[in-house]
Amino acid sequence: MLRRSFTAVPERNVAIADGFVTEPYETAWADEARWFVHVLEAPAGARIAFSAETSPEGLTWCAHEAAPVSLSGAGLATMPLRDIGPWQRLRFTVEGAASVRAIVYLTLKG
Amino acid sequence: MTQFEAMRQALVAANPRLSRYNPLNRILFFDDFDEGVNGWCELVGNHDGDPDKIRTIVADMRPPQISNLSFWDIGTHGAVDGTYALKLATRPKANHMALAIKRMTYVKPGRVQFETYFTLKSESWIGPRPDRQAFDGNIDPSVMDFGDFCIGNDVCDAEYGRRYHCALRYVNTDRHGNLVRKWQYKTSVQTTTKMEIAGNPAVADYHVSHPDDWEDVPDGQQNLCYNEIPTKINWHYLRYVFDTKEGRNVELQVNDKLMDLSAIPVPRYPHGYWGLEKLMNFCLDVHTHRDVRNFLFLDSCLVSVDW
Repeated sequence: MLRRSFTAVPERNVAIADGFVTEPYETAWADEARWFVHVLEAPAGARIAFSAETSPEGLTWCAHEAAPVSLSGAGLATMPLRDIGPWQRLRFTVEGAASVRAIVYLTLKG
Repeated sequence: MTQFEAMRQALVAANPRLSRYNPLNRILFFDDFDEGVNGWCELVGNHDGDPDKIRTIVADMRPPQISNLSFWDIGTHGAVDGTYALKLATRPKANHMALAIKRMTYVKPGRVQFETYFTLKSESWIGPRPDRQAFDGNIDPSVMDFGDFCIGNDVCDAEYGRRYHCALRYVNTDRHGNLVRKWQYKTSVQTTTKMEIAGNPAVADYHVSHPDDWEDVPDGQQNLCYNEIPTKINWHYLRYVFDTKEGRNVELQVNDKLMDLSAIPVPRYPHGYWGLEKLMNFCLDVHTHRDVRNFLFLDSCLVSVDW
């Protein structure tokens, strides 16, 4: 049987400012996970970085072991997760601009 | 009862996964969420590729989740059987709604029955209650954090033909914060993208023109089980029947309560829609009235038809 897979869009076309975190998303069923961040619009000089956070219950959060990812301006960036844990979210830092607009995807397989 | 019908009923009754359901003649789909999302997806408003053109009310209806119902105090609660349930979750923002939809068409007009085992809760917290309300060990103030949930459809019998949405909403607390615990039905059509582009005003309630466009289902008062704290969940049986030939609701059963819906009016669009031949969508949503996430969980669901 083919494995189960799912693409969630936890944030779609939202304004992401420094300190923004995505809504919590449950991943207890998944063996594999990969984040994609598609920055649609960003002012010149904007630098965006995101880091993964995980949680046992969706209420309290700590850093995931995955290395942070950054990009400058509009474009697509990705982050694979290993040993993913039951809940996921992303935390953003934005420098050089008040905010950028982005779509955030969490792709899962298990 | 024909021999075929007796055999069919015996086979359903002997199947541990199906015997808690009461399907009509033909099972259209049986979605066990231990197997994945089974086609229940987030609703998004119409657009031309430009996400800025998605209307605000239908721009953020949240991706469904597969949940093992884990809580901070006990860990995993789990579903009726297996481990996982389908979860709809709002943002922690007053008047936010999460909606999942399954899109079908229909082969013949007639009765359609949606059955599920569901449970609902608002989000728990760790530490002193945020608003410091008193807790007497039984009546938990968190019951006031849960707004409403809704079951419904979107049906169109022909291109430019009869289109309507049925919507049955369980109102735990109303938008003014009162604990009312009753079923309601909507009394105006859902504003569509086409209508808003044509000049209709933006709406505050996805389902209706004005948030007050809801009436009480006759004998629709019902106290669902709210097991005292937000980390204890109890599953409820729900059976909802509508009729695509008559274009109306038929009945709603939740546990032992049976509500006759055959006389309640269903708002119909005065104009037609291109492309929606034999449309039959199933819709579920959950809606918070406070800055607290609200959740609706389905262990499984079964849709059957009378053809």
